Amino acid sequence: MNKRVILITGGNGGLGQAIARFFLGKSTDDVVCLGVRERRDHVDALASEFPGRVVVVTLDVTSPDAWTAAVTEINRLHGRLDVLVNNAGSHEDSLLAIMPPSSWDRVLGTNLDSVFHGCQAVLPTMISQRHGRIVNISSLSALYSPAGQANYAAAKAGVIGLTQSLAKEVARIGITVNAICPGYIDTEAVAGMKPEEKSAAAMRVPMRRFGKPAEVAAAVHFLACSDAAYITGSALKIDGGLL
Amino acid sequence: MAEDLKAEIKRMLVENLMLQVTADEIGDDRPLFGPESLGLDSVDALQIVVALDKNFGLKIPDAAVAKGVLQSVVTMAAAVAAHRLGSPS
Repeated sequence: MNKRVILITGGNGGLGQAIARFFLGKSTDDVVCLGVRERRDHVDALASEFPGRVVVVTLDVTSPDAWTAAVTEINRLHGRLDVLVNNAGSHEDSLLAIMPPSSWDRVLGTNLDSVFHGCQAVLPTMISQRHGRIVNISSLSALYSPAGQANYAAAKAGVIGLTQSLAKEVARIGITVNAICPGYIDTEAVAGMKPEEKSAAAMRVPMRRFGKPAEVAAAVHFLACSDAAYITGSALKIDGGLL
Repeated sequence: MAEDLKAEIKRMLVENLMLQVTADEIGDDRPLFGPESLGLDSVDALQIVVALDKNFGLKIPDAAVAKGVLQSVVTMAAAVAAHRLGSPS
């Protein structure tokens, strides 16, 4: 069987869209389910472009019940779930001394709790299949935490810890769990930077440029393929040599 | 207790856990975990919980119930039989 069902959270964002496009472009058998909480303009456009191969799933990644409902719906539609890409996330940068506790909670919720709930929701299906691929989008901030990102860096470092622990738990069942740590990538996450800030940041990157979303998507796609069967518990940085 | 149900559970164990024994070699009362057992661990237990749900519709709601049900083939067969009768396992 060549058909694979892939669930990507944060499906409306730049990176989610790039990952979805990569899977859709690489195999005409793959079906991509895009988890979105509210904004749907981009996912609807993608669904129109790839009729029958894109499913839009309403999913608040911080809600265990929403995860259960989403996975149940995907199983009802397709009877399987092969790949989970935990891509949804957010950041609210602030110095820790003045960081509102609510900001800490939100960022931990969308970046770390979401990965826990997502993995827990898909594991029964993947264990039952004795096959599965989980790719968690962490961040370079998890490995080198900048000032002003205590919440985000802690959450993304937590994602790597979760990844490594879960990878050991399910290795013998044919499920791999890996993390990817992108550096500066040209998405909406850096769109808010001033041009001079962007230039200065690019100058710090040995490759002197930001990464493209498709370059992250290619790594996600590889970790999800059968050739990557022996790779699990890894945290792959994609940063142009920055760290 | 139906012998065919116990045999079915033994086959489920061998297939899902990739055990190095045949179904016939698993004693009905042999412990799954601990001394003199089949030598299973917590990851095996997780797979059994999923397999019991998939094959028999038996849902194990928490660790306390799991501890009681996952003692041996006999205890699992009893839980499946009780589930089929609609009584609490």
